[in-house]
Amino acid sequence: MSTEQFASSREKILSKVNTALAPIKDRAAMPEYDPRITVTKTFDPQADQWAFFKEEFDKVHGRTFSTGAEIEAFFASNNLTYGYCDPKILALMSEILPDNVLLETQFDLAKIDSYQFGITCASGAIAETGSIILTDKDTSRRLGALAPWVHIACVEHSSIHATIHDALKAMPDDPNIIWCTGPSKTADIEGILIEGVHGPGIQGCFLLP
Amino acid sequence: MAYQKIDSYAQTLDEEVRTSVKNASALKTKSRVDSLWRDFQDPDKLREVSGLIKQHVIENLDTYLPKVEEALTERGVKVHWASDAEEARKIILGLMQSIGAKKMVKSKSMVSEEIELGHYLEKHGMEAVETDLGEYIVQIDHDHPSHIVTPIIHKNRRQIAESFEREGLGEYNDDPAVITARARKFLRNKYLEAEVGLTGANFISAESGRLVIVTNEGNSRFCLAPTKMHIALVGIEKIVPRDTDLALFLNLLARSATGQKLTIYTEFINGPKSPEQPDGPEQMHVVLLDNGRSDVLASECRDILRCIRCGACLNVCPVYRQASGHAYRSVYPGPVGAVLSPILDAKKFPELADLPKASSLCGACHEVCPVNIPIPDLLLRLRDKAKKEHIHSPNTPPMGGWSILASEPILWKSALIAGAVMNVINPDLIPLPPVKRWTMVRKLPDWHGGEFRKWFKNRKVDGKK
Amino acid sequence: MLLEHLHHRPKPANKKIQLMTTCLCDAFFDDVAKATVQVLEYLGCEISLPDEQTCCGQPAFNGGDWPSSRRVVRHTAKVFHSDDTVVTPSGSCAAMLFHGALLEFEKEKDLPEIEKLANKTWELTDYIYNGLGIKTWPGKLNAKVAFHRSCHTRGTESGPASLALLDSIEGLEIMPFGEGEQCCGFGGTFSVTFPFISSQMGHAKLAHAQASNPDYLVSGDMGCLMHLGGIVERDGMKLKTRHAAQILRDSLIEGGLI
Repeated sequence: MSTEQFASSREKILSKVNTALAPIKDRAAMPEYDPRITVTKTFDPQADQWAFFKEEFDKVHGRTFSTGAEIEAFFASNNLTYGYCDPKILALMSEILPDNVLLETQFDLAKIDSYQFGITCASGAIAETGSIILTDKDTSRRLGALAPWVHIACVEHSSIHATIHDALKAMPDDPNIIWCTGPSKTADIEGILIEGVHGPGIQGCFLLP
Repeated sequence: MAYQKIDSYAQTLDEEVRTSVKNASALKTKSRVDSLWRDFQDPDKLREVSGLIKQHVIENLDTYLPKVEEALTERGVKVHWASDAEEARKIILGLMQSIGAKKMVKSKSMVSEEIELGHYLEKHGMEAVETDLGEYIVQIDHDHPSHIVTPIIHKNRRQIAESFEREGLGEYNDDPAVITARARKFLRNKYLEAEVGLTGANFISAESGRLVIVTNEGNSRFCLAPTKMHIALVGIEKIVPRDTDLALFLNLLARSATGQKLTIYTEFINGPKSPEQPDGPEQMHVVLLDNGRSDVLASECRDILRCIRCGACLNVCPVYRQASGHAYRSVYPGPVGAVLSPILDAKKFPELADLPKASSLCGACHEVCPVNIPIPDLLLRLRDKAKKEHIHSPNTPPMGGWSILASEPILWKSALIAGAVMNVINPDLIPLPPVKRWTMVRKLPDWHGGEFRKWFKNRKVDGKK
Repeated sequence: MLLEHLHHRPKPANKKIQLMTTCLCDAFFDDVAKATVQVLEYLGCEISLPDEQTCCGQPAFNGGDWPSSRRVVRHTAKVFHSDDTVVTPSGSCAAMLFHGALLEFEKEKDLPEIEKLANKTWELTDYIYNGLGIKTWPGKLNAKVAFHRSCHTRGTESGPASLALLDSIEGLEIMPFGEGEQCCGFGGTFSVTFPFISSQMGHAKLAHAQASNPDYLVSGDMGCLMHLGGIVERDGMKLKTRHAAQILRDSLIEGGLI
C-alpha cells in the first residue's frame, strides 16, 4: 500500500480510482439502446395528453380539475377559504373560486399553518406517470407548493409530456425541478398507507383554460 | 453446538418481528413483479441495459468523476471530496460552522448512517434531526434501520406509540394516522428552525450535474425550502451518464422497491435556489465520498457498486426473511450487504466474513436486481477469499478430505460400499457434525451406494433393457 | 435471463451421451439414475457410464474451498473427456459445470479444458426438450403434481422444459402453488451450516406445496428433494416426492411404451 502524500483528498481518491481500474483490459462500454424500451405499455400516442394524465393522476390519488367549475365546487365542498396564491394567476383564480375565498399573494412564514391551500404554477406534467412538474422559475414560492395541506398546481395543456423520456429530454435549465406524483405519503408504520406526511395531503392539478 | 451468527440470530428472533418482515417482504416482492410486467414488454431487458450502463460508469469513474465535478461547479455548487468517514464528517461540520449553523434537518441517507454523522454532529453541539418518519423513529429509539428502504419493518405501532409518548409528542396513541400527524407537526418546526438541510442522492447525472433524490414523504423538499445551506452527501459510485438514461433507472427504482411507478417526489437539483425564488438554500455543497468504494472498485466484487439501493434483493431473500436486517450487523443488510459490508471496510472483513455464507445461493436476488448484479457469484468469490485468509467459519464441513475422496475413483467406490453401514446404525449416533445437523431437521435417506452402477453394468452384460 | 455461457453452448451433434450420475444418486437415489437411463434409451440415446466419475465439485466450491473443488472438477473433466454430450439428472450439477466451474477456473491455465466440459453438459429435461427437441411426452400418468423448480436452474431453460414436459403428459395435472421463487432451503452445505434457517425455508416451501393438494412433489434436483423429502419423513407429513426423471419413466410404463 502506497504511502504517498496527496495534495488533496480529490487527488487521493482519483489516484485510488485510477489504480483500481488500471488492471481492467477492456473497460465496459456504454451500451446502445432504444430509448423506447422505457416507455410504458399504457402509452398511447393518439391519446389526449390531459385525459391520459388524468387517468394516471387519479391512480396515485391526485385530484384533477378540468374546468373552473370543478375547482370551484371542490373549494366550496371542502370549506377552503384562506390560502396562498401565485400573484401571476391571482386574477384568474379570483374569478374562478367561490367569493368567500381569501387569496394571499405574500407567503408569511409566521402563518405557515394557517394556509389551507397553496395555488402555484406548474411547469409541465407527465402523462404516463401522472406527475406534475414544478421548477424554481415557475413556482412563486417553494413553500407555497409544499407546506399547505392542499396544493393546486396549474398546468397548461401544451406543457404536458407524454413520457418520462420526453420530460427528461426537455428539462429546462433550472436548478430545482420536482416531479410530484400524487400527495405525500408513507407506509413506514406496519406498511399502512398514510397520506399527507411533510408535504400536501391533497395534491391537485388544474388545467388552465 | 456452535451456530453461524446469522443462524443464531434467526433462532432467537421474535416471532412477531419475523412475521412482520415476511409479510412486508412478500408484499413488496409481489408488487414489484406485478408493476414491472404490467408496464413493460420486457422488464429483464431494462434490467440488463441498466446493469451494463452502471458497469460502464464504475469502470470509467476516472473520467466520470471529474465530469460531475465540472458540471456542478459551473452551476455554482461547491464540490468537496472525502476519502473516508472522518473527512466527510469534518467537512460537514466545518460547513455548518462556516455559517454559524446549529441545526440540521436530514433527509434519508444510508451514506450518512455509514459515516455515523448524527452522533458526531451531536458531540460537537449540533442538532441533526432525521425527517424521514421511519428514520426519525429509529433516531428517537437509538436503534438502527433494518432495511435500506423501509427502515422500521421490524417495529409495530405499539412500540412506536410508546416511543412518541416518551419523546413528549403526545399521550399514547397507536393509530398510524395520529402518529404521522404528530410527526408532521413536530418535524415541521424543525425544518423551520434549521439552517442546514442534508440529503443523499440516488443518482448524479454526469451530463448536467443533476442530483436525483427520490422520496415519498416530501421530507427532502422540506429540508430544502426554509434552510440556507444544502449539503448533499453522495457515494462516488452514484453517477449515471446522461439525463435521458434516468428514464431507465427511475422506471426501475420505485417499481423494484415498492411497486410504485415513481415515488411521490422525484427531485432534480443542480444548484442553489434560483435568484428569483424566495425559498431555498443559497449555498449548495456536494460531498463526494469514497470511504472504501475505491477498494471495492479494485476488488473482484466491483459489480456490487452498480447498486441503486432499491432493496428488492432484501425483499425477495429467503434468508433475510428468516433473520431480518439486524442479523447482518451492518448499515447494509441483506444480499447487497452480504457482499458490500465485508469489503467496504477492509478491516471488517474477518468480522463480517460470515455474511457471504448466509445464503443458499438461490439467485433470487440476481433475478430481481434492477442493475442485474450477479450477487451469488460475488458471494462465492468472498467465500473463496475468506478461505484463503484462513477465517474460521463454524459448521462448514472441511472439504480437503472430501476432495481426495472425490478425485480418487477407487476410494470413492469403496466409500459407496462402506456407506451401507449408515443403514444399520442409528444416524443420530454418527459423530460427524454435518450428519447431526442434517438429522436435526430431516431424516437421512437410505444408503444405496453402488447399486445404480451394479444395475447398469449387469444390464449391459445381459444385453437386457 | 440466460446464463452467459448457454448462449454459446452448441446443440448436441448426435444421440451418444455420457451419463453423469451425480454423487447423490450414486450414494442414495439409484432409482432416479435408473429412470434417467430408461428415459434416454427410450429416446434412442446410446449411453455410456464412465466408471471413474465421482462428483461435480459443487460442495467445495460453495464452501469456498476452491482449490479442493478444482481438484475434483479436473478429475471430472478427465473422466468425461469424450466428445459425447454429458447429461445429468440435476440442475445444480449441470450449472456447476457450465457456470460455477468457469468462475473458479477464471485464472487457471486449464480453463480451456473446463470450457470444453461446460460446452457439452446438459441437465436432463433441458436436453430432452431443447437438445433433442421433444416437446411433448408420451405415455400417461394420472397424478396431481406440484412442481418445484430448483434454484440452480435459474438462468437456464431447465425449469420451463421440465414443466412443459410434465404438463404435456396425459392425465397429469400441474398444481400451482404460492411463492415459487422462494428457495427450498437445501443450498448444499447451507443445509448443515445454517440448519435453523434451512429448516424454516423447507417448512415454508412444503406448506405452500401441500396447500395445492398434490399427489407428488416433483423436482429436477435430488438435493432439493432429499432435503424436502427428509423433512416430510421426519415430520410424518403425507406427501410423496419424485424426481422428474421418475415421472417421465413412470408415464412410459403406464402408457405401455416400456
